[in-house]
Amino acid sequence: MTFLLHAWRNIWRNGKRTAITVVAVTLTTAVLIVTLSLMRGFGDDMVHNATRLVVGDAQVHEADYRLDRSIYKSIANPDGILQAAQKAGIDAAPRSFSFGLVSSGHKSAGAMFWGVSPAAEKTAFELAKEMFEGSYLSDQAAGQVVLGRKLAKSLHAQVGAEIVAVVQAADGSLGNELFQVIGILKLAGEEIDRGAAIIHRQDFDSLFVSGGRVHEIALNAWDRMSPEQVVAKVSPAVSEASVAQTWRELMPQLASMVDMMDAALAIFGFIFFLAAGLGVMNTMLMATYERIREFGILKAIGASPWRILRDISTEAFVMSVISTSLGAIIGVAASLYLEAHPIDLSVFGSGDMSFSGVVFNPLWRATVDQQTVVVPVVVMWIVCVLASLYPATKAARLDPIRAINHV
Amino acid sequence: MKTIVKMENVSKDYGQGDVVVHALRGVNLEIAKGDFAALAGPSGSGKTTLLNMISGLDKPSAGKVWVDEAEVTAMGRTAKSRLRLNRIGFVFQAYNLIPVLTAYENAEYVLMLQGVAAKERKQKVMDLLKQVGLAGMEKRFPRELSGGQQQRVAIARAIAAEPALVLADEPTANVDSATAAALLDLMVQLNEERQATFLFSTHDQNVMDRSRRLILFKDGRIDQNGTPAELQANK
Repeated sequence: MTFLLHAWRNIWRNGKRTAITVVAVTLTTAVLIVTLSLMRGFGDDMVHNATRLVVGDAQVHEADYRLDRSIYKSIANPDGILQAAQKAGIDAAPRSFSFGLVSSGHKSAGAMFWGVSPAAEKTAFELAKEMFEGSYLSDQAAGQVVLGRKLAKSLHAQVGAEIVAVVQAADGSLGNELFQVIGILKLAGEEIDRGAAIIHRQDFDSLFVSGGRVHEIALNAWDRMSPEQVVAKVSPAVSEASVAQTWRELMPQLASMVDMMDAALAIFGFIFFLAAGLGVMNTMLMATYERIREFGILKAIGASPWRILRDISTEAFVMSVISTSLGAIIGVAASLYLEAHPIDLSVFGSGDMSFSGVVFNPLWRATVDQQTVVVPVVVMWIVCVLASLYPATKAARLDPIRAINHV
Repeated sequence: MKTIVKMENVSKDYGQGDVVVHALRGVNLEIAKGDFAALAGPSGSGKTTLLNMISGLDKPSAGKVWVDEAEVTAMGRTAKSRLRLNRIGFVFQAYNLIPVLTAYENAEYVLMLQGVAAKERKQKVMDLLKQVGLAGMEKRFPRELSGGQQQRVAIARAIAAEPALVLADEPTANVDSATAAALLDLMVQLNEERQATFLFSTHDQNVMDRSRRLILFKDGRIDQNGTPAELQANK
């Protein structure tokens, strides 16, 4: 502990210079924590909207279904997959899809009918909570439909209105049915907003004469396991004609965007760390230059070059611990504030923000967790110690006689 | 008596070409263990250079140096550091205490470098500070001490690790004559009580008078070498 005390005294020899460096590193740490927290909040929100509303960690489809969304391309053995998911503790929702026409009054529009099991959807996903008006389907919902918000708008349909569905059924016949609008969804992604007409699977079977075909099983483990693990758990039950894919495979553009955000953050962080590192190096260089004679004395009385290098690095480390502690306090406080009081991005646009079919929450909320605090702090420690190595090495390699005679 | 320092044909040249300065010219010297010896001579005669050669702080251009039977001139940088740490104590003209360390911590520093346990360090340093007359001043920083007191701390630091040899470069040059006499008394006492060998470079006649051996330097060579009485007789 004595060497820590010595380091503490040494860094305060020139209090003003040390204070400037401490302030710079403190602010850098704080800014990095806030930035990481905001980016984490943005990323989490984006992935949450993409996966927790309807997509899930992974999905199973017939191998070609996503290229050709034919009613005939259904999953073989859906019950086996559902059982495998249940056994692994993964929530699963079977879905059926097909296109059709919906009309309300004089308005009509094309729609994608979703045949869902309301109970499974409510357990596995959060779409049922995202109601703009009305409510989601109940388990015994017969003749009821939930519409995407833009579809409802184009039909001028409100909760309680009746719509007529006209479809081509799987057996080639023309199916038609009357549904009552029970709810309208909030904005949840382009595909849902513009086209989703969500009905009970029994109604779907009846309307499309689909014979219980399942086109999609969406799987959600709620962070209990990774998407890859989810796929691995259900894969044994998936037939060769079907395929299980993670959300990253299902939405490669979104996955790329998340990766790009991480890369951008790494570059941003690198620039900040570099600036902080240069500041610390400058301080340590000046401090070392002022103490050349002293290092000569230390070498003369037997301090090894390694000891001198360690002492200077310890000073940089102590300075970084002070700075990062202050930076962490400021950064966490600011991030917690932004968690409780998110930035309202809707003031900069229409309020409808989406990318790759995924809607972003216009309220940009920070998310503070261990990683957003520990990473900048620990990396800053490492940067400060690394930055001190150059002046420390210079001091350690000083010729003691020249150093002692240095004026 | 056992030899603590041995120098064989040691030369040191500085510079190159036409501007070579011969700081030492073929010096042969032996210092016995327990000696209290003074190197005297005019400025630039090579006294400090000689001390630097003995401590391994500088390398001779030619010749060999041994300290306590270990050949300094054959040692690498780390071995020389270890030699200075374990076998040589330094007292500088300008005290050269570490300003951020208290008197106690300055004296303790070498023991810390040696890895001596805290409890043992404390006991040794407290005894030592008492012996050099600084009891009660342990917590003072160098700026809070007089020149003489600072040099006492430097002496305590030099002998804390009980080195075989203490090299003192003009230790009394920066203090008044009364303080110089007191410091000299202290070093004589430490030499006698602790059997530490002292080798001074000095201009101070008092130091020369109190030394048991006097080595007079002139132009990088030993001009005379003997007890003060012998040198007096040779005059």
